[in-house]
Amino acid sequence: MQATKSFERAFLRQLLRVFRLSAVSYKSMSLQERKSAIKLSADVAMASARGSRKWTRGLIAKLSEEDEHRSFLRLILGTEYERLTKPCHGSWKIPRSKKIVRRSLRVCSRRKNNLRAPHGVKSSVLARTLVEKRTHALKRLVPGGESLDGYSLLDEALDYVISLRAQADLMQKLLTTFEASKLSALSKCTLPERKASFVGK
Amino acid sequence: MGSAGSYGVGTGNSGAYMTEIAEPIRFDEEIRSLIQARFDAPPVSGGSFTALLGLSANQAVGLLHEPGAGEVSASAAASSPTGLGHPLGWSPTFPSNAGLAERAASFPVFAAADSPASSSGGGPSPQLKAEPSDSDSSPPLPVPIDKPRRPAKRKDCEKQKAKGPAKKLKTAEEHTEDDQLPYVHVRARRGQATDSHSLAERARREKINARMKLLQELVPGCSKITGTALVLDEIINHVQSLQRQVEFLSMRLAAVTPRIDFGGLDSFLMAECGPLAASNGRGEVALDPVSWSSDPAPGTGQRTDLRPSQQSSTAWVYPYGLINHGTSLFGYGAANSVPLNSNQSKTDL
Repeated sequence: MQATKSFERAFLRQLLRVFRLSAVSYKSMSLQERKSAIKLSADVAMASARGSRKWTRGLIAKLSEEDEHRSFLRLILGTEYERLTKPCHGSWKIPRSKKIVRRSLRVCSRRKNNLRAPHGVKSSVLARTLVEKRTHALKRLVPGGESLDGYSLLDEALDYVISLRAQADLMQKLLTTFEASKLSALSKCTLPERKASFVGK
Repeated sequence: MGSAGSYGVGTGNSGAYMTEIAEPIRFDEEIRSLIQARFDAPPVSGGSFTALLGLSANQAVGLLHEPGAGEVSASAAASSPTGLGHPLGWSPTFPSNAGLAERAASFPVFAAADSPASSSGGGPSPQLKAEPSDSDSSPPLPVPIDKPRRPAKRKDCEKQKAKGPAKKLKTAEEHTEDDQLPYVHVRARRGQATDSHSLAERARREKINARMKLLQELVPGCSKITGTALVLDEIINHVQSLQRQVEFLSMRLAAVTPRIDFGGLDSFLMAECGPLAASNGRGEVALDPVSWSSDPAPGTGQRTDLRPSQQSSTAWVYPYGLINHGTSLFGYGAANSVPLNSNQSKTDL
């Protein structure tokens, strides 16, 4: 599975746009501040490029927790911000009657106990706990994952991994590009020299 | 530059889809084209602004992108800095987002990058409308609809004998149910209970197993591992390492960024294209986001020279072929400036 080109393009566009917008203020920041600003911009760019998914909403919600970030986000995303932050209709919980759920759980557990021959140590219980622990860990990692059930958690995790990977790759390429252009752009040289040096490179 | 492949995780797989711009040089050109394409974007025709650009008002107006023209100038005139506080110390007179939002709404969305011909102001609304329906239907599997599934399963139960010799082969009767109802058809195997509860569980488990398999393929080195817990372990490790990677990269970018003269970067493009005067300090201009779309073309009488040469260079630089070079310069330039939700991207995955 790979990230689509349109996603990459949109991501790059957003990121470059943010860089340009904030280039001036970058000069007055310390390294740490710049790093968190860039990380914030990269996350916002990724979320807006991906569109409307549960993890993008969760990510933007997490980033909006601070007021300062919120105004920044609103600036970058524009009208999309409102759309992304209002609750998604897809997260309706299917209305379940407690009595029925309880009864079915009882039936299921009884059936499980009857079908599988009872061992001394319930290996299934152990296996389930291990999986549960890891599921909780995954829920914490994937933005917005806390409220997802097993299947959608895996779905969002899949999407999230693809996007993260694309983000890392694009940032890497951006970095090498910047470093390359920095090396070849001697600050004092005039334009024709710069051009010559670039072409020569 | 030897650091291109230095990050092992994930770059192996991803090398496949970025082959066109695998080398830093090519990527460099793509970035330059993106930045460069802004020169074709319509400059805002605020009077003082064009004076700042050194363009005559006529030229500026002449280059205005048609649909965006009215809104852009209106918003430029109307926008006033509302003093948004940037989280990390931006200048307090950072211009309002209202103008930006207006322009954002008015510009043909980045979706126009794929269909640049549709560079009209009406672009956004069909895109926006398409979005909710897309997110509705986002699960790619044939979604098992709960209600029709239940009665169908009961039919299944009646046909298969309980705890019985339910074979794995499809019977003729059950074929018909497949055609009619969009649900995941679950087979009861020999010796397994066939009542609705376990069928539901089994369907759910199979869905989850399908996702797990996809994730296994995605995460490197996971296909050999058996067992849910271990696979989940690997996935968690992978996600954590990717997140750490992003943080590390942002640290490195932060180290590089202040020395990057974004104005100088633009002058690269100009130099590449033709004999043009060096751009003025881009940094100051960048303060005004309204200028983003206009992105001042340095050099006064040279816009016309710029365009043909830019056309050829963007044609060369952007090898995807997805952008229609003829119309893209305006459409892409406009689309470049205001990013909106790229609706097609989320369905593409």
